[in-house]
Amino acid sequence: MNKPEWMKNRKFVTGIVITAIVVILSIIGTFFTPYDPNAMDASAKLAPMSAAHLLGCDNFGRDIFSRIMSGMGTTLIVAIGTVLIGVMGGTVVGAFTGYYGGVIDEVLMRFNDAVLAFPSILLALVFISILGSGKYNVIIALGIVFVPSYARIVRSEFLRCKNMDYVKSAKLIGVSDLRIIFVHILPNAYKVILSSVAIGFNNAVLAEAGMSFLGIGVQPPDSSLGRMLSEAQTYLFIKPSYAIISGSMIVLMIFGFSMLNEGMEEWSDA
Amino acid sequence: MLDVIDLNIEFHDHITPETVVYDFDLHMEEGEIVGLVGESGSGKTMSALSVAGLLSRKNMKKRGTIVFNGVDILNCKRSELRKLQGNDIAMVFQEPMTSLDPLKKIGYQIEESLVIHMDLDKEERRKRVIEALKDVELDNAEFIMEQYPHELSGGMRQRVMIAAALICEPKLLICDEPTTALDVTIQAQIIDLLKKVNKDHGTAILFISHDLALVKSLCSRVLVMYKGNIVEAGSSNEVFYNPGNDYTKALVSAIPKLEKKTGEKEEDNKDKKDKNILLKVDSLNAFYPVGDSLFKRGDRRKQILHDISFEVMEGEILGLVGESGCGKSTLGKSILSMVKYTQGNITHYSEKPQMIFQDPYSSLNPARKTGWILEEPLRIEGKLSDSERNIKVVEMLKKVGLDENFTERYPRELSGGQRQRVCIALSLMMDPKLIIADEPVSALDVTIQAQIMDLMLKLNREMGISMIFISHDLRVVYKMCDRVMVMKEGRIVESGTNEEVYFSPKHEYTKMLLNAAEKY
Amino acid sequence: MRFVLRKIATMLITVLLVSFFVFLAFQVIPGDPATAMLGTNATKEKVEALREQLGLNRPLMIRYFEWLFSFFFGDMGTSYSYGVSVRSMLAGKVPITLSLTLISFILIILISIPLGIETAEHEDGIVAGIIGGLNQVVMAIPPFFIGILLTYFLGLVLQLFTPGGYVSYKTDFFGFLYYLLFPAIAIALPKAAMNMKLLKSSVLKEAKLDYVRTAYSRGNSTKDVLYKHVLKNALIPVITFLGMTLADIVAGSLIVEQVFSIPGIGRLLITSISNRDYPVVSAIIAIVAFIVIIINFLVDILYLIIDPRTRG
Repeated sequence: MNKPEWMKNRKFVTGIVITAIVVILSIIGTFFTPYDPNAMDASAKLAPMSAAHLLGCDNFGRDIFSRIMSGMGTTLIVAIGTVLIGVMGGTVVGAFTGYYGGVIDEVLMRFNDAVLAFPSILLALVFISILGSGKYNVIIALGIVFVPSYARIVRSEFLRCKNMDYVKSAKLIGVSDLRIIFVHILPNAYKVILSSVAIGFNNAVLAEAGMSFLGIGVQPPDSSLGRMLSEAQTYLFIKPSYAIISGSMIVLMIFGFSMLNEGMEEWSDA
Repeated sequence: MLDVIDLNIEFHDHITPETVVYDFDLHMEEGEIVGLVGESGSGKTMSALSVAGLLSRKNMKKRGTIVFNGVDILNCKRSELRKLQGNDIAMVFQEPMTSLDPLKKIGYQIEESLVIHMDLDKEERRKRVIEALKDVELDNAEFIMEQYPHELSGGMRQRVMIAAALICEPKLLICDEPTTALDVTIQAQIIDLLKKVNKDHGTAILFISHDLALVKSLCSRVLVMYKGNIVEAGSSNEVFYNPGNDYTKALVSAIPKLEKKTGEKEEDNKDKKDKNILLKVDSLNAFYPVGDSLFKRGDRRKQILHDISFEVMEGEILGLVGESGCGKSTLGKSILSMVKYTQGNITHYSEKPQMIFQDPYSSLNPARKTGWILEEPLRIEGKLSDSERNIKVVEMLKKVGLDENFTERYPRELSGGQRQRVCIALSLMMDPKLIIADEPVSALDVTIQAQIMDLMLKLNREMGISMIFISHDLRVVYKMCDRVMVMKEGRIVESGTNEEVYFSPKHEYTKMLLNAAEKY
Repeated sequence: MRFVLRKIATMLITVLLVSFFVFLAFQVIPGDPATAMLGTNATKEKVEALREQLGLNRPLMIRYFEWLFSFFFGDMGTSYSYGVSVRSMLAGKVPITLSLTLISFILIILISIPLGIETAEHEDGIVAGIIGGLNQVVMAIPPFFIGILLTYFLGLVLQLFTPGGYVSYKTDFFGFLYYLLFPAIAIALPKAAMNMKLLKSSVLKEAKLDYVRTAYSRGNSTKDVLYKHVLKNALIPVITFLGMTLADIVAGSLIVEQVFSIPGIGRLLITSISNRDYPVVSAIIAIVAFIVIIINFLVDILYLIIDPRTRG
């Protein structure tokens, strides 16, 4: 009857459960939604919650529940793409600069400092203003923006590890630098990278929602929670539930990822 | 003055409570110096912290009585206890660096107890602080008061800790491994200082240490602890020269003695005279760059090693002894080309010399299993098949006193001694003729230390592996080595056979080191 | 002193790098401004003439330094969309956004520090439990959503303020501050929650260190140990966090301005991005970056004051 170790970690379990719900809803949402998320129904404008429309309808008579399902899917895809670009770019940059140090490291770190001086969302907006808006441009923009912060995390892990005696002893044995970086040191950085992946999701959801809220992120026909929230703001007085529901979904996603992250951190501390 | 009767300390973290101290008894008179000896995890620090009223943690139970001058330490109010702390009972801890608040000036930290316990004005306090600093033989008191802990050396910091502890003239001073983090010569000074404090002020001292020899030199009475129990108590001489308990016996015999070795070893030495040279170091200099940055290339360099020349013969163990910062580790690394800036010639007459590092916790990759780690050199060589590699790994594990079950374990699942055995096995995987061992036993408990040294001596005898054995501990080096080099400030100040260096030292510094090591 | 000089040097380098990025991003990558201004139908000669007039034919580095110098002397170029100087467009707006950022920053400190100490001091108490749980949720709420919730509950339901009823600092300074209070809360709450949590765990971590045991061994009370020793040490990571989070606060201001219809630079930025009005965008980005860099520099100086170890 012994529970496995991870089940005793309440934060981790909470994070898993919430994230699972979000992921399942968005996967279903890509194949099936109760209504077409973009279908307008003039007769159902701002319809209240009912059996027909679980969460009611928006100002164009679109089914809110269907829009939330597909909006979560969009957000999730953006987050996954962003984190993939960020983590892969950041790991490679951080691993090499941290391990080799020297002039290239100094220059890249100055560059990093400079980039980190920009608010990440602002930097993404710069890219968007050049690339144009839309789902894929948002992914590219946010992905690039997140590279420096991952690079910094991985780099500091490599800085810590490269002076460990086990690295020195690997060098004495004659292990090549590449093998030391990826086979010897990188497994020690997994935990740090993994927990920063969860933070990455967290930040990506936040940034995507923010950009779409401002109207320069994901564009129709893709639905997006941030965009829904900004539309809902106009009808705040007439239909506050619209804003509260779509905002709460953003909160739910971020909360799930932050729980996952904290659970993992507790785990790696133990 | 102090009576501890049947002190038991239990932790209730798990379903079954874990007792870490059993029936601890201690009686101390005023002005007495009592030693408390044990290895890590023996419960000596817990017992001492309880006496000072400093041990409190979640899920912990303390039973028994501790009475200090009529005050029941375990059951009195916090406010009453606080009146004693720093005033009548003071403490000195092991790590003077971490035990001082890094953000507060030394003056503040020394006078803190005065502020809490006595009603003195600023001028009077200042006088007392200066006096206290002079008492611990720190000149330039006014200057030191304005310094921060990181600006002082280790020895100075420990003196500051002692000054701060003594400022209210406590009746009992509890010292928890106060010299473990310090060099031998500094260690000797601190012990002398404690003796002086005891004599001048009549301060009773409870001295906690893992080092029986050290305790013997300072204390009249000794308690030996093992796994939470007091296994032996009595006068220092009695315990040291005539131990009754098996553990104490093991502890005493684990201390390497500085006595002339028997004939057998001497003959060994003669045999080695005609052997081949394995390593020749010729006028080696090593540097560290200072202030290397994007703007300045490291043109300013700090010289770490000055003009070092020596040879290592086949089958011998060469000792390299010196205090921290003398450059002995740098020398070891330079020989294996691990230091960037060197001048001079290093000629290896053997292939792939290996290194054993001091800290067994950082020398094994925490993300990999022991078996994987041991196989890596063979994988890199690429000569053996999977199964052949496996066989060789198990063979090496057996050679260092472990078995094949260890291949599936992560380093964190091993004890310090087991890790160091794995490190030794790793260094053997490539069949080296020369191994450089940098303080390989310093991080280990005395009894484990002895086991590892025996293992290394066995490997030297049976496999004919030469070693350069680097250590700060003269006793350890004496036990291990055939020849010794003494280093100071990047130079070799004396070298010769064991007998020459240890029994007729020529250099003043060697004499000082030996004096410090022999006395304690 | 040498250390401060070195900090100033690195700050200047960062400023140069940042400004160079901004320059590259908006003057080079988007393509030829001459074509952009004249449209794709313009004749080659016309474009060439305009390029000459705008000085686009000269080497990149010269154009960069010219751009940088004129920027620092207040000439930020001319808006493509409105044809007026960028400087005049920004003049009234920068103080508004700065005020909002500043108020948010102060709120973060006022909320997080006392609560962080309180929850660390009574780690197992009921208050700490409730705040701790609440904290986790608050951290996950985006500022613009808090803004909408405040607009609805405090603005529309309780009518503590009029949503969209921004008051200019020129007409009524206190009315201006009062109106900014609500967006500032929206920006500050999640960051304050994070900072509070960080402070709490930092205090608890410090409390386990050796020097705390030393402080107790001298007869200090728990309160004295906390306030005389632990707190100062525990604040070091908090200062780091506040420095790092500053960029986010500025970004938060830009977005939350939309929710509360505040005429700061946020709104201008969004419309300029939509219109691809690069001179305006680049000026705003540069200004924000410079503000962040300068405040980071001040944080570094703060370290020097608090932590003697950094004065090496």
